[in-house]
Amino acid sequence: MTANIPGLEPLIDDMAAPSEVEGRGARRTHLSRRRLYLRRFLRNRGALVGLAVLSVLIVFALFGSVLTIYTYTDVDFANLSSAPSPEHLFGTNGAGNDTYAQAVHGLQRSLVIALVVSALTTTIAAFVGAAAAYLGGLAEKIILEVIHFLLVVPAFLILALVSQRAHGDWSVLILVLTMFGWMFSARVVWSLATSLREREYVQAARYMGVGPIRIVVRHLIPNIGSLLIVSFTLGVVATVQSETALSFIGFGVQPPDVSLGTMLSDGANTVSSAPWLFYFPASLVTLLTVSMALIGDGLRDALDPTSRSGGRA
Amino acid sequence: MLRYVARRIVSWLLMIVVATNLTYFLANWFLDPRANYLQLRPPRSPEQIDRALAQYDLSPDTPLLVRWWNWISNIVLHWNWGYSPVGEAVNDQIAFRIGVSAQLVLLSTILSTVIGIALAVYTAARQYRLADRFTQTLSIITLNIPVPVAALAVVLLAIALNRSLDSTLLFVAGSQSPTVSGFWPLVLDRLRHLALPTVALTVINYAGYHLLQRSLLLDNINADYVRMARAKGLTRSAAIRRHGLRTSLIPVATSIAFTVPALFTGAVLTETIFAWEGMGRYFVTTISKNDVHGAVAVAAFGALMTAVGAILADLAVVALDPRVRVSGA
Repeated sequence: MTANIPGLEPLIDDMAAPSEVEGRGARRTHLSRRRLYLRRFLRNRGALVGLAVLSVLIVFALFGSVLTIYTYTDVDFANLSSAPSPEHLFGTNGAGNDTYAQAVHGLQRSLVIALVVSALTTTIAAFVGAAAAYLGGLAEKIILEVIHFLLVVPAFLILALVSQRAHGDWSVLILVLTMFGWMFSARVVWSLATSLREREYVQAARYMGVGPIRIVVRHLIPNIGSLLIVSFTLGVVATVQSETALSFIGFGVQPPDVSLGTMLSDGANTVSSAPWLFYFPASLVTLLTVSMALIGDGLRDALDPTSRSGGRA
Repeated sequence: MLRYVARRIVSWLLMIVVATNLTYFLANWFLDPRANYLQLRPPRSPEQIDRALAQYDLSPDTPLLVRWWNWISNIVLHWNWGYSPVGEAVNDQIAFRIGVSAQLVLLSTILSTVIGIALAVYTAARQYRLADRFTQTLSIITLNIPVPVAALAVVLLAIALNRSLDSTLLFVAGSQSPTVSGFWPLVLDRLRHLALPTVALTVINYAGYHLLQRSLLLDNINADYVRMARAKGLTRSAAIRRHGLRTSLIPVATSIAFTVPALFTGAVLTETIFAWEGMGRYFVTTISKNDVHGAVAVAAFGALMTAVGAILADLAVVALDPRVRVSGA
């Protein structure tokens, strides 16, 4: 899957790009890098749709609870498994919980887990991958072997083994998902950083006596920043998928806490008798992953200096 | 060639052994088989529980290394993968489940590879036309749908289909009916059970191949050798298939190996949803029932599948890429 990674060009602050001019006449202006990226991103319709959907989801997760008087743990004994109605916007489940309130809370939970895990794994991947590339020799070999080994280990099984012991504590889940989520992007970071370590500015820093950690942090990692941003968005998608899967089979978030995965597993049992228990969490989780993926694709195209849109930005 | 394959097999075997042993220690650390006896009525004393567990090498009183040694020597000498905390042999459990899972995983791997690559060839030749844009959007969506959502959506569609036909054409649960006999009825019955889970797994897996293959194919669809093939008089589609596709298949072939773990995860969920008694379901059961030996056997199976996939991918690369010369060295 190395075909779609952003390129490695050193980040030049004033990337001169001919712009299509708004007014008449071929006036050429210099665009700052940020403006250039923004324009390329905004031209991508899919990415814009993704961004809009994601913003709506985030607003829903943060402020959705004002539309209901119930909290996700409240039980309404008068309405067990009742269909969506003005009182219960998304209906209720078999225990009488308000599905709307649960959906708001579940989305919050899933979002927090996904964002934190993805930020952590991207950070770890950046450090480990770049360090392996810079150190070279035996250290590089060992790190790569470990990564390769962790990639082929049935990670999902180990995830399930460890997280079932956490009894639904979502902070432990974050830790476990992080531990087994960083390898793939670390490998990608490594393969890009190997070509960076030969660059003149890295060598110059080394001959000036700058220490290895400082070189990795100050010179290598900033120059693969675009890759890291993309890998962060795609990491969110992957984490939502794993969290949903784990919670679905009962080893992730566990009752009384609620995530989109536990709601799906509730809905799975009543998919023909109370389909609304499935429809709402299913559409939320799908919107979340698809919008994140669209944003990731858009960012990749915008940040890639070799992308087709380069000259037309 | 043979020596190359042999070397790959040995290195993968080593990987499997390490992964399996690692899982053994992790499973012993995180699963507590005593919990299975605590809910029994009449209640057992701790000594009774330990005695019951000791006969299956699961008693926490025995030092871990002793248990490990018994476990591994049983596998090496007798091919006996141990017992669950209540005394079922892991070998018996695995024996009938492997076939069930294998047909599901194998069929959907083949289907999703073929569908994905075929779609990629079709759309790469029509870049940015309506068909290309439509299938690309569709693939981006299906690629990112979580497995439970896809599987349950397939279930809902099948229920609607069965209702509209007023008969059960496709079964949404189980891998076969208990009452069917005879060869052809049995095959038909199996297929009617197999259809939905396979569709569910294929829907989420084909898209990765489609998008990857499409972008790789676009990279060299205008290459000189493809134009050369056209100049020789091949039709455009033949030139793309025979010359463009062949070179760009190689990275896709290698990526198949690394989708096996994801496929295994997918199988865990689809088997749970479609109530198949396969390895994936067994995986969930072993972990929730603190079955250390069973969980380790599942891990070994998963690692073995990855290894088989990787070796097949290596062979495919050798077959496809004339630049890769395999010598004994």
